[in-house]
Amino acid sequence: MTGVWDDDVVEAADVRASSAPAGITETQDGPGMPAALETVPETAPETALETVPEPVPGGPALAVSSRGRDKGAVVTPSERPGEALLPAPSEDDAVFEICDLSIDYGLGPGALHAVRHADLMLRRGRVLGLAGESGSGKSTLVYGATRLLRQPGVVSGGSVRLYSRRRGEEGRVVDLLAASERELRRIRWSEISVVLQSALNALNPVSTIESEFDDVLKAHRREMSRKTRRERAAELLTMVGINADRLRDHPHELSGGQRQRVMIALALALEPQVVIMDEPTTALDVVTQREIIEELIGLRDRLGFAMLFITHDLSLLIELADEIAVMYAGRIVERAGASTLYRSPRHPYTHGLLNSFPPMHGETRRMTGIPGSPPDLAAVPAGCAFRPRCLYAMERCGTEAPALVPLDGEEHEAACFLHSGDVAVPGELAR
Amino acid sequence: MTDNASLAPALEARGLTKHFTFRHGLLSRRGRVHAVDDVSLVLAAGTVTAIVGESGSGKSVLARMLARIVMPSAGELYLMGEKVVLGQKGRRQYASEVQLVLQDPFASMNPVHRVRHSLVRPLRIHHTAGPDLEESVKDLLRRVALSPPERFIDKYPHELSGGQLQRVSFARALAVHPHVLLADEPVSMLDVSIRLGVLNLIGDLRDKERLAILYITHDIASARYLADSICVMYAGEIIERAAASTLTDSPAHPYTELLLSAAPDPARGQPTPLPTRGAPPRLVAPPPGCRFHPRCPYVMEICKTTPPPPVTVDAGHEASCWLRLPAGERRPEASSQASLPMVRGGPGLHARKEVASRNEP
Repeated sequence: MTGVWDDDVVEAADVRASSAPAGITETQDGPGMPAALETVPETAPETALETVPEPVPGGPALAVSSRGRDKGAVVTPSERPGEALLPAPSEDDAVFEICDLSIDYGLGPGALHAVRHADLMLRRGRVLGLAGESGSGKSTLVYGATRLLRQPGVVSGGSVRLYSRRRGEEGRVVDLLAASERELRRIRWSEISVVLQSALNALNPVSTIESEFDDVLKAHRREMSRKTRRERAAELLTMVGINADRLRDHPHELSGGQRQRVMIALALALEPQVVIMDEPTTALDVVTQREIIEELIGLRDRLGFAMLFITHDLSLLIELADEIAVMYAGRIVERAGASTLYRSPRHPYTHGLLNSFPPMHGETRRMTGIPGSPPDLAAVPAGCAFRPRCLYAMERCGTEAPALVPLDGEEHEAACFLHSGDVAVPGELAR
Repeated sequence: MTDNASLAPALEARGLTKHFTFRHGLLSRRGRVHAVDDVSLVLAAGTVTAIVGESGSGKSVLARMLARIVMPSAGELYLMGEKVVLGQKGRRQYASEVQLVLQDPFASMNPVHRVRHSLVRPLRIHHTAGPDLEESVKDLLRRVALSPPERFIDKYPHELSGGQLQRVSFARALAVHPHVLLADEPVSMLDVSIRLGVLNLIGDLRDKERLAILYITHDIASARYLADSICVMYAGEIIERAAASTLTDSPAHPYTELLLSAAPDPARGQPTPLPTRGAPPRLVAPPPGCRFHPRCPYVMEICKTTPPPPVTVDAGHEASCWLRLPAGERRPEASSQASLPMVRGGPGLHARKEVASRNEP
């Protein structure tokens, strides 16, 4: 197995243990949490506490009958003592924000820095793509941010905030890294849900599809009767294009694509505001993948959730995402709107990655991809981690790690010294 | 070798078929999975032929039959123009001509042995080592661009990256001086940034060593990049074959069109909506007639009853689709040698495309 693969295996194990879509993980006690609690800056909820109208223009089939019991059960960070003030979210429409997040595997000097100083912002109703090769830390980043990370993963710094807005509720800010287990239980699945790569591992092989839905709804919507739960399950299944009579089937009776659809329906069961997709289509055939992507976009348009889509397939992301962040060896090296990133990549890695996908049109010419192979996270080169594979490496790259800085406006950021203004930017990175 | 060996294709398959039988249920009813049906294929020296298909289309079973790991239910193999007697006999001799490289390099290498061991074994078994065994091993590593070989020769598989290990798999296959290389999804397990390196290696083996290469993949873009010709498989049958860029630029079979519209393609801006829905059929009971007809947006009556013959659309471009025959010729008895000009502007793909483009704002 490759380094990448090892990483995936670890993640898959994590997720399986913490049970499918980010749901019922009450008992999970993030091993890194104490450390995280100390280092995380506290939120200032006052700034975001204005009540906001539901942004979703009437999600048609999906109105949950009542959410009464949950109301008011929320402990906003402001109710806890010792909160410091933080500036208001810079964008009104931010729904999920990761600031300066660092995640290690292990403690002390031998710790492996899987994610370093990552910043991400997911906007309401948008699709943010997170691209990277195996071992780049993209899944770790998301599991750390949603507190699904398990030992020996440790969040060593940064903050993660959820700006929750729901119809009939006050808008509120939740600091996920500081949230109590009770709060997490309330947020998970209802506000943030996760769809995992391997539906076969995430679905219980001995229970029916119906009981998977039943479990979620029973745990999070206790006011629902058995009958309403069943109706809701049927409705959700129909929504993702599976006939409701499949409710009594077991996972092995469904095709790979159908299983992944069930996962998506489960993730949407409680109308979350943020859905995290961790390589949801990687194991599927291209045609099935395209069907599911089309469906996801349709659901997003109808229900208005924001999507964080993790994949190694940059060419897929360019068609799907509004904005893309590219990760390499634990750092975000470039971030831009999807078409901007495609047309004018600024980081040599992004440029190389885009040139690693053979085109479907035009003259077939020899392409080179990127020389070398992705670094082992246990021995990341000093300075810029991409330097050994970079065609434009300079002396400075060996000593300093470049920070992610805005280029041509705020919409495009890259972490590369080529854009520091000291050197002439190579033509292909200056388009 | 006979005289015509130099002219004959390195490996040719005629009518290869594999049906797996199984028993199920209380009464032990027998069933048959039609994994591969009547596939003919020519692999010529110095070319890469790609097989593109979804999982379950039978492309891996085809590769295994060509490598003689799976015994065909029917069909013939010709190696250098000579008919291969199928069976246990002569398999080692065959293996010294035809080598298979598998998808997962970590699973295809013995994890407790060093690279040296994996490469020495084929050299010994097939007596292909030069006077200096060590030098032969190093030479193999150099041929797959793992240099300096000293850095790799004593490594264990877990110490190498996926790309490096896949190169070792290719080196192992090259150890026997084969004429034919069968590569079953050789890059799909690898990281995106190193895939091209392995694809280019395959291309170099074709150009420099004149190997006949079969490249099996589900990624039509990489097939277009690497291969000289592409065969598209669906439900155990080859439904279209053409030169690589012809196939991707002007597909003649509705399934190829579906595959192309599903493949990610950032250059086209907005992805085109899929022309059709549905999944490949179960191969236990493939649909009668054309196996694609339950999903086909242009399905006609004849498609539901009679399998379409391969129709020559253009020189070197064949598609098994009734749409490619003029309406008058669409008769069940249409011979399998049907060769008629392509029906342009007919009720086929091109007509539909025009309609679609008109509807766009």
